Amino acid sequence: MLRSLGESTILFQRNLRKLLRVPMMVFFSLFQPLLWLILFTQIFQRLGEFPQFQRQGYDSYLMFFAPSVLTMTVLTSAFQSGMGMVTDLETGMLDKFLISPIRRSSVLLGKVMADAFRMLLQGGMVLVIALLMGARIETGIPGAIVMLVTAALFGIVWAGLSNIVALRTRHAELTMMIGILLTFPLLFLSTAMMPEGLLPGWLETVGRFNPVSYVIDTARAFMNFGYDWGQLGITLGVIAVVGVFTLTGATRAFRRATS
Amino acid sequence: MAKLIEVEGLTKVYPDGTRAVDDVSFHVDAGEMFGFLGPNGAGKTTMIRILVTLLPKTSGSAKVAGVEVSEDPDTVRRSIGYAAQFIGIDDDLSGHENLVLQARLHGMGKAEARERADELLEVFALTTVAGKRAAGFSGGMRRRLDLAQSLVHRPPLLFLDEPTTGLDPQTRNAMWRHLEELNRDGTTVFLTTQYLEEADRLCSRLAIIDQGRIVVEGSPADLKKEVGGDVVTLSLPEDTDPDTLRRAVEAVTSFPGAGDPTVFDHSISLPVKDAGEALSALVRTLDAAGIPVARLSMSSPTLDEVFLRHTGERMRVEDTNTRAPSPMSRVMRGRR
Repeated sequence: MLRSLGESTILFQRNLRKLLRVPMMVFFSLFQPLLWLILFTQIFQRLGEFPQFQRQGYDSYLMFFAPSVLTMTVLTSAFQSGMGMVTDLETGMLDKFLISPIRRSSVLLGKVMADAFRMLLQGGMVLVIALLMGARIETGIPGAIVMLVTAALFGIVWAGLSNIVALRTRHAELTMMIGILLTFPLLFLSTAMMPEGLLPGWLETVGRFNPVSYVIDTARAFMNFGYDWGQLGITLGVIAVVGVFTLTGATRAFRRATS
Repeated sequence: MAKLIEVEGLTKVYPDGTRAVDDVSFHVDAGEMFGFLGPNGAGKTTMIRILVTLLPKTSGSAKVAGVEVSEDPDTVRRSIGYAAQFIGIDDDLSGHENLVLQARLHGMGKAEARERADELLEVFALTTVAGKRAAGFSGGMRRRLDLAQSLVHRPPLLFLDEPTTGLDPQTRNAMWRHLEELNRDGTTVFLTTQYLEEADRLCSRLAIIDQGRIVVEGSPADLKKEVGGDVVTLSLPEDTDPDTLRRAVEAVTSFPGAGDPTVFDHSISLPVKDAGEALSALVRTLDAAGIPVARLSMSSPTLDEVFLRHTGERMRVEDTNTRAPSPMSRVMRGRR
């Protein structure tokens, strides 16, 4: 266990260093949520003034939408996760890891750790930007941490999907494309843009089976209304269920690709 | 002598039915520099990937460092270094960082890893670019860095898959000197190559592999001897009449120890046991018969002829052209 953690940390540091080595990458991954926050809160600003919307208890569209951007940002990182895997496959780096006497699982764990770190960092930036734009978090810093961790957990689970595609196709563009295709419909078919009461009936039904909605609703509850442990518990359960599929799938695809 | 590699009836069949390695047996003793010589697609990379634990075999036995590869890959991994044909370097990291990463993955602490990285950078003349991103490295620098990576943990056995493919002659030569030095210091080397010249120069023993099978195995000298001795080529003046040419052929054919001559234009190629001995006697014979000789040359058989004889084909060499301008002056220092 300790040994595995040590090995993963070495690879975590390597992955992190790679990310920081490309400053444009860091810049744009922070710029993107800023753009979304500004764009969408401008487009839907008037929505916040509608009585149906206000009746749900949201002070502003920003307060309603910031948790969505948090989730979107994390998911964007998630569906890019497989790209790094393709690069490591193509450059022979993965082979280098595999012939060193470390555990196979450490390679995956090192990647998960780096992904999680990136997601927490980006998510944190989203919240800071939202606060600067005038939002506030009802549950304060502890609530913010809960929001971030939940989002990152879901991000990791979702990144598993991207890595399955990466390991099966070994193709960077394809991984990106399928990642976008799997992610965006889920975002738009969720409560990301509109609260539940304002969605058409069929979308509400879809939303109930959409894990993205759970993540967003939880973050939204912690931001707008206060601690909602019941909601958090359900969401963590949903993440766990999705994770069982995506992470075992990714582990299996990894084992298949490396033997 | 300890056998570091023992392969017995090894076969690899890919899911699409390709028999990439077909009932191959060989062994490599400690201290040897053993080569797999063969064209692209002969099964060299498949063979090496099985031995370095990256690919499961279909059947047969493959032992490295005394243990069956599929049963105890961890022990194998600790005893070997591997530099793949397609270099495994992280372009986003510097040369130094790449080496430290590998050293850490092989269980070294931070300080020790850094020290080892510095040491290898110096050995491979990469100190001046140590802090630069590997993305900017030339082909020769990348090869050297990759070789250095495979040596971080001082493995007694080194696997090299086409270590000089794509390098220019100068860089190739420097790489050869590195490998010779390494071998002299006690590292056993298993390498694959599609260059006859490389196999000839580096390998103490080699196996020629074609379509997944070993067609012949032995030291380069023995293999060449088996093909036959030297070849003397006598060129007569261009205006030689057919009758004189015929007389010349008769004269050399009766020469003791000579094989069947090949006549092409005005030239006669004659296989002989030892060209040094035969040369003057041949000239005297022709001189006595009053036949003028315009040019005289001799050649020793090459591995190309060995390959041709055993496979019925010439070696097909494909090359990728990577330019690597920087010469390398330093040679590998001894392992500690």
